[in-house]
Amino acid sequence: MKPRAAGYQYSPYGDRTQTLRQIDRYNASFTRVPASPLIPRPVTLSEQTGPIELPRRWNAGKLALSRAVENGPRAVGQLIRVSGRVTDEDGSPAAGVVMEIWQANAAGKYVHAMDDHIAPLDPNFVGQGRLVTDEDGRYEVFTVKPGAYPVLYSGWWWRPPHIHFSILGQSWMNRFITQIFFPGEPLNETDLLLNGVPSHDVRERLIFEHGDTVMGDLSYINYRRDFVLRGHRRTPELA
Amino acid sequence: MKLVVSPCNTTGPFFPREFSDGNEDLTRRDGARARGEHIILAGRVLELGAKPTWNMVLEVWQADTNGIFRHPLDPRFAEVDPGFWGWGRARTDPDGWYRFRTVLPGGDQRIPHINCAVLGIGLTRRLVTTIFFTDAPDPVFDCVPGPELRQRLIARRDPSLNADGAAGYRFDVILRGEGETPFFVD
Ligand SMILES: [Fe+2]
Repeated sequence: MKPRAAGYQYSPYGDRTQTLRQIDRYNASFTRVPASPLIPRPVTLSEQTGPIELPRRWNAGKLALSRAVENGPRAVGQLIRVSGRVTDEDGSPAAGVVMEIWQANAAGKYVHAMDDHIAPLDPNFVGQGRLVTDEDGRYEVFTVKPGAYPVLYSGWWWRPPHIHFSILGQSWMNRFITQIFFPGEPLNETDLLLNGVPSHDVRERLIFEHGDTVMGDLSYINYRRDFVLRGHRRTPELA
Repeated sequence: MKLVVSPCNTTGPFFPREFSDGNEDLTRRDGARARGEHIILAGRVLELGAKPTWNMVLEVWQADTNGIFRHPLDPRFAEVDPGFWGWGRARTDPDGWYRFRTVLPGGDQRIPHINCAVLGIGLTRRLVTTIFFTDAPDPVFDCVPGPELRQRLIARRDPSLNADGAAGYRFDVILRGEGETPFFVD
């Protein structure tokens, strides 16, 4: 990966562009988000650097989630291709950074010890993996559309289909985690986490764009989502 | 061109354990062992009412024993310890315990410190703090008002956590409530 040029600057995440820290009825946000105000601090070399060698450490490259093993049987569900581009705030590609992806299977079940939902696992679906963005910051993954699943303790809350993304950018400051939803899902209207954003525009950025449908040897539906990581080049000072 | 940063959201409960497991030890890299004083950094992550949190994810980033970061922005990058990663990830057990094996960081621009982020259920955005080992002048530590709050950011020597020749240090993260950990603007 290319090291990020010196002179990058990072502004605090703006509350207007981000998900609220506390969301009505999302109970854990009231027991886990600190009551005291966050303390402003300068960004030093320590925070401007970060783990750029993770692609090598994890031997990450391309990722396909539509099969558990290469050339194995396909996972149950609607085949989709999820793709997009990761950039910084200047539009420069975030090249060679690790993206971690995890999701439920088509029945709304995660391969995870803490998932108590009574829904079947799919032997041909693991639903998690890592990839590395290319020179242009692009990523793509073939997978199946995840199912909705109930938040069992809540008694009412069903999570709409969504895919989780974790990006380890080039510095401590641009570490990024989110989850992206599918357009047109009725459950989107009631989801606490999707609606925990202050504006329609921000909410739209948590939803995939519906792309082309493809028919051929492999038939699938495209979904697209670009990500903008924090960080931009410092404005050059005039001599 | 200035684009708007994408909105963050929570990891939720199902962050894969495979993504954490094996990343708690920062002291082995490509067959080499980290130089410097090996330490165990461990503690509990507690929520309101001092209740343990299970399945929270902690990420850490720090300099090596000589204060060099494994990143090309560090002017001394070429001399970074070949046996030290600088980055780690751990998850809390049912009693709220996390545990890293790392080295005591060096430093001259900053006092020894470890950047720490907390992710998990209830946190739509990560929480960031910094773990220190002594109370001394530092551009980030100096931002924390008052001795009482500053003490909360210092990891304490705890011999009961010693393991495999590494000295134990205890650092609890109190997300909310009495003794709340100071967190920084992110
Ligand atoms: Fe989920």
